[in-house]
Formats: sequence, structure tokens, C-alpha cells
Amino acid sequence: MIEVRDVSKSFGTMAALDRVSFSLNKGEILGFLGPNGAGKSTTMKIVTTFLAADSGSVTVDGIDVLEQPLAVRSRVGYLPENVPLYLDMNVQEYLEFVGRARGLGGARLRQRLDWCVEACGLVTEYHKPIGELSKGYKQRTGLAQALIHDPEILILDEPTSGLDPLQILGIRELIKSLAGAKTIIFSTHILQEVSPVTDRVVIINEGRIIADGRVGDLQREAMGSNRVFLGARQDAAAVSPLLEGLAGVERVEHLAADGGCRFEVRAPFGTELLGDLHRLAREQGWELNELHEAPYSLEDTFIALTKRSVRPGAQQEVV
Amino acid sequence: MNGTLTIFRREFAAYFNSPIAYIFIIAFLVLNGGLFMTSFFLQAAADLRAFFGNLPFFLIFFIPAVSMRLWAEDKRLGTFELLMTLPIRAGDVMLGKYLAALAFYLVALAGTLPLPIMVAALGNPDVGAMWSGYLGAALLGALYLAVGTFTSGLMRDQISAVILGIMACFVVFIVGVAGVAATIDGWLPGVGSFLQQYVGLSGHYDMMLRGVISLADMTYFMGMTAIFLILNTLWLEGRKY
Repeated sequence: MIEVRDVSKSFGTMAALDRVSFSLNKGEILGFLGPNGAGKSTTMKIVTTFLAADSGSVTVDGIDVLEQPLAVRSRVGYLPENVPLYLDMNVQEYLEFVGRARGLGGARLRQRLDWCVEACGLVTEYHKPIGELSKGYKQRTGLAQALIHDPEILILDEPTSGLDPLQILGIRELIKSLAGAKTIIFSTHILQEVSPVTDRVVIINEGRIIADGRVGDLQREAMGSNRVFLGARQDAAAVSPLLEGLAGVERVEHLAADGGCRFEVRAPFGTELLGDLHRLAREQGWELNELHEAPYSLEDTFIALTKRSVRPGAQQEVV
Repeated sequence: MNGTLTIFRREFAAYFNSPIAYIFIIAFLVLNGGLFMTSFFLQAAADLRAFFGNLPFFLIFFIPAVSMRLWAEDKRLGTFELLMTLPIRAGDVMLGKYLAALAFYLVALAGTLPLPIMVAALGNPDVGAMWSGYLGAALLGALYLAVGTFTSGLMRDQISAVILGIMACFVVFIVGVAGVAATIDGWLPGVGSFLQQYVGLSGHYDMMLRGVISLADMTYFMGMTAIFLILNTLWLEGRKY
């Protein structure tokens, strides 16, 4: 549905994107992750035909964005990072304006207005001037604007920025409810936002794609090993060598700061680390107060991937 | 065309959604009417020469103030990105905005219609000259607006847009003044008179003020307007790269 191939873009002498490539199938949701200034917005502006790439190609639904920008625009609903609202209009006037500008009219426009206002929770604000709305409602109006023509493709630049947790939940639910029917790219710099909505992510940093795949796979790839926390009421000095002697164990770290006998044990993915540790503890008769696998957070993954991308050739070091 | 109409309606309504429109129109009528009335009774001639004669200079300030918001405001609000990702050609969006500003100016100009009525009641004016004067005033506004719309696009905020617009309109006006053309001719022989004839508006406007509607003058106004609108479209298309 969306094909981005070797796209580069620079502003003056500053390279914003460097040979960015990724693709997205129909019905997929893609979380587009990266720190502020990584090139997320620039990529989205290129896909939505607002900007043109210096080199490379972008097709949306098989249509080249430079050859037929109008055809692309009519298929895409776009929420820019800076929510584009006319503050002098009320919600109804604004959505009608965008609907008409997108070629809707008559009963179809009515029907889409009703749907968008309902789906985005704008019923109570329908006749209020946009300038008087709270940030959350402004964001929802922006989202309703992107949905008004029932587009096949949605491109949402930071759709949850500046919202409170409850509102974030609402937007998340809305995106999830559109899953399957629509192809969606949404960007964020907050990692926790991604997992509840999708497991497909593309991570971009300093204009380069540093990871593309499922969240779980990326974690494996980035961290290289599984980790288990073990705590016991024993003498740490006696436990440590036994842990290190375990088959497959790569690293044992004594978490002395936590007090007493607590360890982080790492082994490559695929080894039965948790089971092995459990067996060892039973054989030794340790009195355990903690034994569990600790999946890496997206932050850990992100930091590992970012570091790796900053120092190319340092991959082995990280693994 | 539908797109142009949608943009036109929104932009035209935007002028009247804020008190600025009414302040503009009142200021336009009071200043213009006031300037005219002072000379009208001194001259004791039943025509609108003085009114139309003031316009080229007066509009240098008034028109950029009307057009300053057209692009600069959208850039500030972020709606520029919305407009440029709608399935409407950039040129059509531009045309919708331009025509909305032009309609607003024509509303203000229509507010001066009591003047010819008053003149007709007091004396026996040359009606043809008044009609061609109004046509000239409309074309003059259309040209300045095209300049102002273009300069609004080049700037990020309205203050810079209005200042640049005033300067650009002033240049179009001043190179048409005979004395200025002669001075430029003194430095660069031929350039001054070329600018006076093809870029400067005074000569063309003065003909209409006198009641002469010629193809050459119409071509000048429409051509210059088209040039600035095309420049605006080119800027919109080129901005992407």
C-alpha cells in the first residue's frame, strides 16, 4: 500500500533523511518511532505530497507521489504534527469545509460528518468555535478532519501529543478500531504508545532507519540475550559461581545495590534460562524470593538500537 | 473549480468572521471619502477625478493589509499543510484565496457608490468617465492584490507580509511616474521608459480615469495580475523541493 524507497531529503546543508526505505501492506498499522528531530515528520510530509524528496521514490496504492499528487492526496487522511485548525470556525464549519474541499457533498457529507463527530467524541463541542476548545478536543477535531473522507490510508503525526492519559486511551482505541479496514502510519516519540496499538514498528534516528520489524524481534536483535532476575536468601558469594557455571549463561551481574543476594543473569535467546535456574535453585535448596524473566522495555531496545546506529561497526560490542 | 469555490467561500467568510473586515471597510470609506470631500468642494467640479486619483497611492497601503493574511495566516496556523495536501491543485487553492480577497475589496469599493450618486445630484458629471474610473479602480485593486497575495506567501508572519507587500506595490506604482522614469533613464538610458510603459501603472490608470478604456491598458492590468498570480503558483509548486 505504501512503498518508500531510498528517500533522501535535505534542507539546505542539513540532511533530514538519508536513504529511508520501508513498506506497508494494506490493513497494517505501523508505529513510526524516533526521537524528536529524527525525520519522522519529514518522511510523513513526503508521503502526503506536502514535500518532495530529493531522491528516491514513494508510491501510495501504487501511485507515485510526484507524478499524481492529487490522486494520492484523495486516498490519504493526514493529521500533521501541528494540528491544522482554523480558529475562527466552529467544529461543524471546519469539518464541512474540509469535507467539501475533499469533494464530499449532500447526504454523503452529512453521513461522514455524523460518523466522524461520533467516533472522535466531538458531539458536545460540535457548535463551539475551535479557538475555544481544549487541546484534547483540538486534537480530536484534527483527527476527525483526517477521517472525513473515509480514506484508505491514514497518516497521523504524533496524534496523542499533549493529551492527558484518558484522552490518549481514547485516541488509541479509535486507531485500534480502524485497524484492518485502514492502512495507518502513526508517529510518536513515546515508546509505550506503540505496543497497545501495533507490534509493527519502524525506528528512525538522525534521518536513517535503524530498525524495521516486530517489536519482539527487534528486542531480540537489539539486546541479543534474555535476562532473568534471581533473588535468594543466601550468601551471594556462594551463589554467584554456581550461576556462572550454568550452561549457556553469558553474564551474571550481582545487583548488590538492591541489598543481599540478587542477580541479573543473561543467556542467549533460545536457552531455557528460567527453567535451568529453577532446577539449580531446587537442587541447591535455595530459599528464593525472586525468580522471573524480565522482558526488555521498548526503551532499552530503543537505546540499544540508537547507540548501535550512532557507532556503525559497534554491533558486536552491543551483542 | 469546485475546490476553488470551497476555498473562496471559506476565505471570504473568514474576512467577515472577525471585526477586522468592518474596521477595514469603515477606514477605507472614511479616509477615501474624507480625502475626496476636502478637494471636491475646493475644485467645485462635478466629477470623481480626485477620488480615483487618490486611489493608486492609497491602495498601496490598504491592499497589502487585506492580502497579508492570505498565506501568512495559514502558515502560522499550520493550515497551510492542510491546504497543500487537499486533492485540489495549488493554483486552484491560490485562486480561491485571491478571488476572496478581491471580492472583499470590491465590497469596500462598492461602499463608495454614494459618492457618484452625490456628484450626480449636485451637478452634471461625465457618467462614462465614472464607469471607466470604477473599472480602473477594480483593475488597480486586482493588480495590487495579486502582488500582495504573492508577497504574503513569501513571508511567515503578517507584519513582514504587509511591509513587503507595500514595498512591492509601491515599486509597481512609482516606476510609472514620469519623473521617476526620467531619472532612471538618466542612469540607464531606455530602462526608465521601458519600466514606465510596461511595469508602471500610472499611465495606464490615468487613461481609465479620464474615461478612456483601451485594449492596451486592459491588457496591462490583466497581464500584470496574471504574472503575479502565476509567480504565486510557481512558488507554491516549487516550495516542495
